[in-house]
Amino acid sequence: MITALRDCWFSFSQFAATFGGFQMFSFRLLPYLPRAVLRPRLITEQIYSVGALSLVLIMFGGLFVGMVLALQSYNTLVEFGQTDSLGAFASEALVRELGPVVATLLFAGRAGSAVASEVGLMRATDQIAAMELMAVDPIQRVVVPRFIAGVISVPLLAAIFSTMGVLGAYLVGVHLLGVDAGAFWSQIQDRVDVYEDIGSGIFKSFVFGVSASLMGVFEGYYAPPTAAGVSRAATRTVVITSVWILLLDFVLTSFTLPGT
Amino acid sequence: MKLAGNSGTNLVEVQDVRYSRSDRMLFNGLSLDIPRGKVTAVMGPSGTGKTTLLHLITGQLLPDEGVVLFDGRVVCPCSRRRLYETRRQIGVLFQNGALLTNLNVFENVAFPLREHTRLPEQLIRQIVLMKLHSVGLRAAWLKMPSQLSGGMARRVALARALVMDPKLIVYDEPFAGLDPISTGVIVRLIRQTNDALGITSIVVTHDVAETEMLADLIYLISGGKVVASGTPGELQNDNSPIVNQFMRGLADGPVPFHYPGPGYSAQLRAMSRA
Repeated sequence: MITALRDCWFSFSQFAATFGGFQMFSFRLLPYLPRAVLRPRLITEQIYSVGALSLVLIMFGGLFVGMVLALQSYNTLVEFGQTDSLGAFASEALVRELGPVVATLLFAGRAGSAVASEVGLMRATDQIAAMELMAVDPIQRVVVPRFIAGVISVPLLAAIFSTMGVLGAYLVGVHLLGVDAGAFWSQIQDRVDVYEDIGSGIFKSFVFGVSASLMGVFEGYYAPPTAAGVSRAATRTVVITSVWILLLDFVLTSFTLPGT
Repeated sequence: MKLAGNSGTNLVEVQDVRYSRSDRMLFNGLSLDIPRGKVTAVMGPSGTGKTTLLHLITGQLLPDEGVVLFDGRVVCPCSRRRLYETRRQIGVLFQNGALLTNLNVFENVAFPLREHTRLPEQLIRQIVLMKLHSVGLRAAWLKMPSQLSGGMARRVALARALVMDPKLIVYDEPFAGLDPISTGVIVRLIRQTNDALGITSIVVTHDVAETEMLADLIYLISGGKVVASGTPGELQNDNSPIVNQFMRGLADGPVPFHYPGPGYSAQLRAMSRA
C-alpha cells in the first residue's frame, strides 16, 4: 500500500516537474521569436523538412478521409432525402474538425517525432554542447526555427488536408454515388462560412500547430542523451501531442461552435 | 567582474575551487594556473573530474566555491552575453569531434564565422580553406561527417575550433580511440598550432606517452586536488606513489583497482540474505 502510494506520488511529482518544465520552456522561447525572423532561411529550411516532406502523407490522408466521410454520410443522408447536402456536410466536418485534428495528428507522427529525434540526437552527440561552446545559442539556432516552421506548416497542411478531403468527397459523392455536382458545390458555397467555419479551422490548426511543435522541440531538447532517451522522446511526442490535441479540440470546439 | 590574479602570465587561473555532484566531492580546493602560450596537460585517473574541470573553465558548470578566471575575468557566474563573449575566445575540441551532422566539412568549419561575423562569402571561403589546409583536410571539404574517420573528424573539429582565432584551445581526450598514425598527427597538430598561432592549449588526457611528447606542463589531479605538477621530465623523476603509479601505469598503488565498497564475503552474505 505504502509502495503504491509512493509510486503514485513519484509519478505525480514527475508529471508536475515535466509540466512545469514545459511551461518554463515555452516562456523561454518567447523572447527569441522576433529575432528568428531576421534569419528566414533557417525557418524555410525547416518548413521544407517538417512541412513540405509531410505533404504526400497529408494529401493522401485528406483524400481518403474525405472519401470515407462521403460514403458513410451518404447512407444517412439518403434516408432523409438530403443527399444534395453531402458536400456541405463533408466540408463542414473537414474544415472545422477533421482537417485541423487529423492533419495535426499526422504531423505529430511524421514531423513532430522527427524533430524530437533530431534535436535529441544532437544533444546525445554533443552537437548542442558544441554550439553552446561556440557561443551559439542552441535555442535560437536549433529550437526556434523548428518551432516556427511547425506553427506555419500545420495550418497550411490542415488547409491542404481539408481541400483534399472535399475533393475525395466530391469524387465519391458525385462520380460514384451520383450526387448532382452543381448541388454538391452550391451547398458548400451556401453553408460553409468563411469566418465561422474556415476561420475556426484556421484558428484551431494554428493552436494545434503551436502545441505539436512545442512538444516536439521540448521533448527533443530535454531528451536523456542515450539511445533509449531519444527513442522515448519521439514516442512521448506522438503520444502526448495526440492526447493533448484531442483534449484541446474539445475545449476549442466548445468555445468556437456557434450557439455554445 | 575582474579579479586580481596573475593574468599577465596565466591565461586561466583556477583558484581554490570546490565542486560536488550527487553528494560526491569532485574538487576540494583545486587550484592550478594555465600559463599563456604553453601546452598544459591535465591528467589523472578515470573519474577524477578532468572533463568536469574543462566544463568549469568553459563556464558550463558553476563551482560551489572558488573562482575560475579567464584572462583575468571570472568565467561564471556572469550574464549569458558575457559568458558567450568569453567562449568566443575559447575553442573546444570534443572527444568525438561533435561535428554538426547535417553540414558538410566546409560548412562545419564555416559555422562559427557565419554565426558571429558578417564577413563576405569570398573571405569566409578563404579562411575556411586555410584552416582546413592547416589540418590537412582541404581536399575533404565536401565530405559529410559520416564519411570521415575518427581522426579526420577530430581534425575537422580542430579546424572549426581554430577558425575564430581563439586565445585558448581545450582538447578533451584528443587521442582516445585513435590509431598510432592519427594519434601522431593530432600530437603534431596540437603542438604546431599552439606554437605557430601563439595560443594556449589545455589537453585533458590520460595518455602518458603522448603527453610527454606534447606538454610543456602537466598537472596530475587525484582526490579532488592537484597531487603533482611540473614538466614531463620532472614528473617522470617524481617518486611519490601516486605519480609513480599513474606515470608507469601500475595496477597497485594509491588508486585502488577495486571500486570502493564492502568486502567480497560481506557482499556475498548480504546478497544471499536478500
